[in-house]
Amino acid sequence: MTKQSITQYYQKHRKAIVTATSGLLYGSGWSLGYLTSFEMASAAILVLATIVGGYDIAKTAYHEVTSRTLGIKTLVTLAAIGAIVIGEYWEAAAVVFLFSLGSYLEGRTMRKTRTALQELLEMTPDTATVRRDGELQEVPAREVEAGEVVVVKPGGKIPVDGEVVDGESAVNQAPVTGESAPVHKADGDEVYAGTVNQEGALEIRTTGAGSDTTLERIIRRVEEAQEAQSPTESLIDRFAKYYTPAVIVLAIGAYAVTQNAILSLTLLVIGCPGALVIGPPVSIVSAIGNAARSGVLMKGGEHLERAGKIDLVAFDKTGTLTKGETTVADIEGFGIADDDVLTLAATAEKKSEHHLADAIVDAARERPTAATDGGATVAQADETDAGSRSIPGPDDFDVVAGKGVIAHTKGTEVVVGNRALLEDRDINVPSRIADYVREREERGETVVHVVRDGDIIGAIALRDELRKAAPGVVTALQDVGIETVMLTGDNERTAAAVAEEVGIDEYRAELLPEDKQTVIEAYQADGHVVAMVGDGINDAPSLATADVGIAMGAAGTDTAIETADMALMADDLDRIPYAVKLSKATRWNVLENVGLAVLTVTVLLAGVLTSYVTLAAGMLVHEASVLAVILNGMRLLRH
Amino acid sequence: MSDTTQFRVLDFDCPSCASTVERALSNVDGVQHVEVHYATGRVEIEYDDSVADPDAFAQTIENQGYTPQPA
Repeated sequence: MTKQSITQYYQKHRKAIVTATSGLLYGSGWSLGYLTSFEMASAAILVLATIVGGYDIAKTAYHEVTSRTLGIKTLVTLAAIGAIVIGEYWEAAAVVFLFSLGSYLEGRTMRKTRTALQELLEMTPDTATVRRDGELQEVPAREVEAGEVVVVKPGGKIPVDGEVVDGESAVNQAPVTGESAPVHKADGDEVYAGTVNQEGALEIRTTGAGSDTTLERIIRRVEEAQEAQSPTESLIDRFAKYYTPAVIVLAIGAYAVTQNAILSLTLLVIGCPGALVIGPPVSIVSAIGNAARSGVLMKGGEHLERAGKIDLVAFDKTGTLTKGETTVADIEGFGIADDDVLTLAATAEKKSEHHLADAIVDAARERPTAATDGGATVAQADETDAGSRSIPGPDDFDVVAGKGVIAHTKGTEVVVGNRALLEDRDINVPSRIADYVREREERGETVVHVVRDGDIIGAIALRDELRKAAPGVVTALQDVGIETVMLTGDNERTAAAVAEEVGIDEYRAELLPEDKQTVIEAYQADGHVVAMVGDGINDAPSLATADVGIAMGAAGTDTAIETADMALMADDLDRIPYAVKLSKATRWNVLENVGLAVLTVTVLLAGVLTSYVTLAAGMLVHEASVLAVILNGMRLLRH
Repeated sequence: MSDTTQFRVLDFDCPSCASTVERALSNVDGVQHVEVHYATGRVEIEYDDSVADPDAFAQTIENQGYTPQPA
């Protein structure tokens, strides 16, 4: 070892070395005093142990005093000096050694909590292979500019956020979304920095690099969440502000009354409410870090504490319990051809942005081209459009929110909508059509009627498959005593069928978007703590109304991350029971830590005032309680 | 002009240590705003770059007995 590397080693492990040296000196000083009669030598070694272990503490204490903060290091320094002054060398050395050992262990364990997130960032590679001037160049990942094309080999980590422009592969997105199964990526798909390209080579057009990537944004948000104080933390901070000065006053008062210096010094040692102020932040930081690694972003300790009290979870149906990929399941023409019903409905719906409209227009496009359209010439015109035909748009159209559309095309009026819309317009529904509608709805499908100039000419049944995970998620929540509710704009019968399939406790059907908020408010008025799960964009108002708003599939949408209290990065419903259980565990963990801390302080105070507990023992219990709450909080990292 | 820099201190051993570092940093010339977070160990300093010397920040943290790392 060169002199320089020795210095570096010392710098790096200074705290450990100081603690160990002070401990050794303390041990030998104590043995010497206990086993022999060399009392002067023993005292000298114990004083040396105090100085070695106490130098750094006293230095920080000096800074505390000059910056006018009252910290534990000032109190420990005062106690150690006081003990030496009254000749209690053993106590002085013990206090300093136990404090150093405690702080060293606390610093080390906290470091684990603090670096839990950094591991995520280290997933991003430092360099990227970029196509510049027709050549492949290796450049630092931070210097890749938006629009540049990055090439990622199979097995390589993706260095930037971007869009696939060439190639096809399976990508493991676990670092960003928490999903363990790889996701198939091809032309036009979005990929995230830090994810792993598993199979084929990909060419990616960069949309964000360096600090402007989804992963970096997630980590910044998570850190902000960890730093935001929860209500419990602010309460304790306010308490701590008065606790320390109060104990010092008590110490001075006790000395004035009893003239017992050891008693007063011991009060100083326990004057820092260590476990109380450290416990809750450790629990919350660990829980938020754990959640982030599983693809769940929590907005902060406050939301986490509230989530721990959830007793009702409301799910939006479409896109949350179901896949949100509505497809046409059946078409029925009443007196006219099925195809004509579909074409007419598609024309009316063409400009609507509703998901049912999209499904109808898509289905119409994919129908084989009718022979009268001159199929041969159309197919020739554009190869990529083979098998799809273009749908003419309506001359004008109006959306009736939650009900349907009214459009005009070539002089006829076309209405596409649900029963409510037909009732509004006094359109008579023949029993044959009503029977068909009932039959489809009892299968959990949504049916829209197609009306031409006041007559019903057909109906289209649409189906949105349930997510595979939905029934299991509902059961998992019910198992921990949480009520489940489904909110939907669908009609009663469809809702009942889907609710039964999922096994959900309750459902509310035929809700307009603003009704969902009202329903949530009603549950809250009944004393429920309500979580609402939705897509974060259409459901934003009800997510905001709920006590805890949970947005799904938030990886690509910043707004969802901003507005929701919890955001699931992937469309992974399974994360909801996990997040709810983690929140409950966190709430308990915080309570345990506060309880343990209050108990320790009470027992210590009582022990000190009755002279059962002296300096070294007080310090030992104090440090042990701090370590206990840190270790307890860190259990949440592995929940 | 105002500028911002960040450090990461992984070895804070108590919340009051973080507050002490925060006070010490806010006393450095040219520092306009400091945030020191015990939970994450993140230190964020906003300073007037015509007055403050960024090298002094790390030194101040070290003087308090902690190890700053560039973030």
